[in-house]
Amino acid sequence: MLSVDDVSLSFGGFQALRAVSLVAMPASITGIIGPNGSGKSTLLNVVAGVYVPDSGAVTLNGRPLAYGRPEQVAAAGIGRTFQVPRLAHRLTVFQNMMAGERDQAGEGVFNLFLRPAAVSSREAEIAGRAEAMLKRLGLAHKANDYAGSLSGGQQKLLTMGMLLMSDPAVLLLDEPAAGVNPVLIEQQAALLHELKAEGRIVMLIEHNMEMIANVCDRVFVLDAGELIAAGTPAEIRADERVVRSYLGMPA
Amino acid sequence: MLDFAIYCLTIIAVWSVLGLSLNIQFGLTGLVNFGQVLPFGLGAYAAALAAQAGLPWPAGAALGLVVAVAVSLLVLLPARRLSQDYWALITLGAGELFRLTALNAPSLGGADGLTVPRFADPHLALGAALALMAVAWLMSHRIAHSPFGRLLKVLREDEVLAATLGRNPVAYQRTVSIIAWAMAAAGGVLYAHIVGYVSPSSFTVTETFIVWTALILGGPGNNLGVVVGAAAVQLLSVSSRFVASWIDLPADVLANGRLALFGLVLVLMFLFRPQGLVPEKKEVRDAQRR
Ligand SMILES: Nc1ncnc2c1ncn2[C@@H]1O[C@H](COP(=O)(O)OP(=O)(O)OP(=O)(O)O)[C@@H](O)[C@H]1O
Ligand SMILES: [Mg+2]
Repeated sequence: MLSVDDVSLSFGGFQALRAVSLVAMPASITGIIGPNGSGKSTLLNVVAGVYVPDSGAVTLNGRPLAYGRPEQVAAAGIGRTFQVPRLAHRLTVFQNMMAGERDQAGEGVFNLFLRPAAVSSREAEIAGRAEAMLKRLGLAHKANDYAGSLSGGQQKLLTMGMLLMSDPAVLLLDEPAAGVNPVLIEQQAALLHELKAEGRIVMLIEHNMEMIANVCDRVFVLDAGELIAAGTPAEIRADERVVRSYLGMPA
Repeated sequence: MLDFAIYCLTIIAVWSVLGLSLNIQFGLTGLVNFGQVLPFGLGAYAAALAAQAGLPWPAGAALGLVVAVAVSLLVLLPARRLSQDYWALITLGAGELFRLTALNAPSLGGADGLTVPRFADPHLALGAALALMAVAWLMSHRIAHSPFGRLLKVLREDEVLAATLGRNPVAYQRTVSIIAWAMAAAGGVLYAHIVGYVSPSSFTVTETFIVWTALILGGPGNNLGVVVGAAAVQLLSVSSRFVASWIDLPADVLANGRLALFGLVLVLMFLFRPQGLVPEKKEVRDAQRR
């Protein structure tokens, strides 16, 4: 269980998060919605160890996470994507995928020079997985293209693939469907359901309410850094405050 | 004339080692080291000091490597988690600090420097330089085309991404610095035994600038490019000396003119061919599988 307890964070004088508390359970998809600038990405960055909260705590299965140390949070099995995809642009799609795996014999210098056989067998294993994952994401034909040459939607898919290479227990996804075509959004939704079935914790930030309604078990709503509602997608749709501040009147 | 050609080749090999070292740092990892002359100078002075103490050359070589690695860690300590601009300034400052220390410390010979036993046979010097270059090349090649090198390139492209993927950028930068500085120090040890003396004037910012010119000209991220760049820069440097003696140019004008020429080369490369003469190759999947 991933739990955010009473987290507050301000940038200078600006209060971006106000005592936010929420939990995300294994084998479930937790949505986070809210207007632009309401603090969704900021919250995700706190969980991912980018920002240090002014107060409050984030724990995974009761163990506190390292604030301000994204590499340690990632090593604890928490993977994330960014709202604006981050990729190594001058590496190929395939190399980006390969770099997604954390456990690499060939990243140790001693192994590199003294145990080349171990390095190449591990490399072959990872390559096999990367290949399968690219097929699953429909990016196999782009394997040898520079990541920087992909379209925006393809870049989103690739970041998702890199994330999955490390087999994370927790996935923090910042608007994976933004700029992705409808068919691919459906594929993504199916993928999220699979990840859920595998028992992972999935936290999903989205403005695409259809996707939220389709995949989320529970939704939390942020407004101006404050949690204003929580519940199933249906409950959220019916919440008057949420309708007023975010969803607007149904047509 | 043959002797001169042998000397040129020897020097090109030494500067290639320096360039390969810078390439691991900048070409692969994106570390902007404006004090590349520092490990080179440390190696050279270690060789000289060991020789002064009557120790055999391997002692000087070992001392040079150990000191360069130690200093790299020291210099990197404040550079931890600092942005690239600070990195450049810190390394630049450390290099100058070393030169000024050598200039003012009597035990280091001051402005006159120290003498070092020279290679008895220029062919031997060339052989040693080529051997060192081969080792540096093979190491660079192994690193560049490995999972380690791949992660270094991710780091070069986006440090935040590397951290997000669960790798500690500082740890990788440290490893890179240790390897690269040891490599440059080995070049310095050799250089001292080739020219037969060390003095502060051989380890100025200009030397760093020349290595950078070679790297940018040849192609950051490509070993062959580095060697091509080092050769081009050294040959340019040598031929400018011939031209100068022809038209009777004073030495200081020549030195400044050469720097201006290198500056021009840099500007032209940045404008028209930022990837260098021999650009970094795309790592294609099937080649990887072999
Ligand atoms: N590093 C920062 N420094 C200063 N202010 C910041 C920083 N990061 C975010 N903010 C501010 O915090 C507020 C919340 O930003 P955040 O990115 O979390 O919004 P969001 O809910 O993800 O919005 P969107 O739906 O547009 O992505 C914004 O007003 C933003 O300007
Ligand atoms: Mg956002």
